[in-house]
Amino acid sequence: MTEPQPILSISNLQTRFATRYGLVTAVDGVSIDVMPGECVGVVGESGSGKSVTFASVMGLVKKPGWIDGGSITFEGRELVGMSDRDYKSLRGKDIAMTMQDALTALNPALTIGHQIMEVLLTHDDELTGSARHRKRGARDRAIEMMMLVGIPSPETRLNDYPHQFSGGMRQRIMIAIALACRPKLLIADEPTTALDVTIQAQVLELIAEIRQKLGMSVILITHDLGVVAEYCDRVAVMYAGQVIESGPTKLVIGHPSHPYTQGLLNSIPNLANLDKRIRPIEGQVPELINLSPGCRFIGRCDVHESACAQQVEMQNIGQGRAVRCVLPRRNKQ
Amino acid sequence: MRFAQKKQTMSNAGSSKRDRTEGDVLLEVNNLVKHYDTRSGLWGKITGNPGFLVQAVDGVSLTINRGETLGLIGESGCGKSTLGRSILRLHEPTSGTVIFDGTDVTKLDADALKKMRRRMQIVFQDPYASLNPRKTIEDIIATALRLQGLAKGSDIRGRVKQLLENVGLKPDYMNRFPHQFSGGQRQRIGIARALALNPEFIVCDEPVSALDVSIQAQVIQLLNDLKRDLGLTYLFISHDISVIGYVSDRIAVMYLGDIVETGPTKQILGDPQHPYTQALLSAVPRVDGTGKGNRVKLTGDLPSPINPPKGCKFHTRCPYAKEECQLKKPEHRELKSGSSVACHLVTRE
Repeated sequence: MTEPQPILSISNLQTRFATRYGLVTAVDGVSIDVMPGECVGVVGESGSGKSVTFASVMGLVKKPGWIDGGSITFEGRELVGMSDRDYKSLRGKDIAMTMQDALTALNPALTIGHQIMEVLLTHDDELTGSARHRKRGARDRAIEMMMLVGIPSPETRLNDYPHQFSGGMRQRIMIAIALACRPKLLIADEPTTALDVTIQAQVLELIAEIRQKLGMSVILITHDLGVVAEYCDRVAVMYAGQVIESGPTKLVIGHPSHPYTQGLLNSIPNLANLDKRIRPIEGQVPELINLSPGCRFIGRCDVHESACAQQVEMQNIGQGRAVRCVLPRRNKQ
Repeated sequence: MRFAQKKQTMSNAGSSKRDRTEGDVLLEVNNLVKHYDTRSGLWGKITGNPGFLVQAVDGVSLTINRGETLGLIGESGCGKSTLGRSILRLHEPTSGTVIFDGTDVTKLDADALKKMRRRMQIVFQDPYASLNPRKTIEDIIATALRLQGLAKGSDIRGRVKQLLENVGLKPDYMNRFPHQFSGGQRQRIGIARALALNPEFIVCDEPVSALDVSIQAQVIQLLNDLKRDLGLTYLFISHDISVIGYVSDRIAVMYLGDIVETGPTKQILGDPQHPYTQALLSAVPRVDGTGKGNRVKLTGDLPSPINPPKGCKFHTRCPYAKEECQLKKPEHRELKSGSSVACHLVTRE
């Protein structure tokens, strides 16, 4: 028996942008593996590089940005430097991504039926025969997808435009488009940030349900640790362009070992224990221009020491966990 | 310590109006209604569009005691921001009364309202849209002082400096422009502006929802410290239950223009009575992973306030709805626990 291979493997990825203020390294040495059927959460505040990481995976980083190093493999195939043409056959078919803001991601001038069918007509090999025949087949599949994501009376709503749907419904339509070709990997970028909690629960349950049904892998990009705790098998915490802690969700959230992860958890009021005073992380995320080589959290960290001024690498601390901090090593000694 | 000192200087600058005992009613809202009527507009005449009657706030009553934080929670579109603004008369209420410290705010003329605004202020949700990008921080904070004629010349600078310190910003920042600040800092500026007139009551309209988690905690902490040190009273509007739970003494839950349940924070969070409150609470993902098992599933979206459901407005999504719920709008009932619930299914104890 061979070890199961990750479906997506990002290793030491560097994505940079040339801005008029200087060179911004938005993603700096990020490594994340996703196994088949697994749900991985990527957590971080705005500017931590989580969205740029997965825009890199999708080949969506365009000038003035570029991938400066590292590799991204999908089912063993290298994606960095792949031609646009090859990417087109991959995006939407094997890897699909839903964007944070469903209103701007959908085309306001086309009916949603058109937008779902477009993916199917481009990628689905099962649709054969004359153009008319293919179109009818795509329409049936589109209706099926809309039913799957729980949009009532799909036959008539197929002809509606995005503005005629509510926020939660639009997010469902994006998911329907993403899932239309049964991708092996779904990247969901903040799928519920714009939604109310009751709708959020519906959308997340839907993704979890479809994941089980189709056996696909899911990457859930979010800033909400509660969402990660409930839906993800493993989690990677990002800060200022780097993964600073990763491991099984229960261990990372139950016993965080990086001071930033600890700080993040202490910043959230705990509904089960409201008398516990929240402790904010003082200060702000550093600018990504002209960073010092040392730990990026050093300015906000309560427990930093001299070793933190040098470059800190990710190190394994057992149980499938890794952390970019000098403390766990020191504690062990 | 830092705040204790400031409290001294702040209360000297203020008046004696805060000497009254805590716990008496500061704000009483009775049957407040705010409808937006587009049925008779010029646009409708031109386009032939009949227009709508949007029932944003539909007969809300609540009280806030002095020194208390009332948390107002609900999903987007339920009318919570409209309610907050109608209380301050930033939106003119359609009917109902707002009694602030014995005075009916809805009956005041423009001059009296301007005077009253010294005592009631607001912090807005979006720190990017609520600060004028072409004015310096000093101008932004000092405008209210100038308009109200409360400070002149060099006094203004001193007061602005002091306010910036109170919200944890460096006084040298006063000559900068809003774009030079991060979201959290901007929200602090918005808070300093609200504090400029020494108000007693502040409507905090989603003050932290545009901020990152770690910054959010800083601003919540600041608002809590200011409340304690300056004896403020808050109406704290948010859609985030954990934030509301943390800052509030009491909570009011709003659905489609109505308050469906109010009560002490612990009561509402620990033993919610209204099916909507139960569903809302159970939908929150918990960091400890305990939320998922007992989730009350709601189907469908929030109905439109243009044509809200008859009877109990929640009956279209309620898992326990009975025939009665479609016919009759439930009245609020006081429970022994101190809560008040508008639901036919919650029987009187």
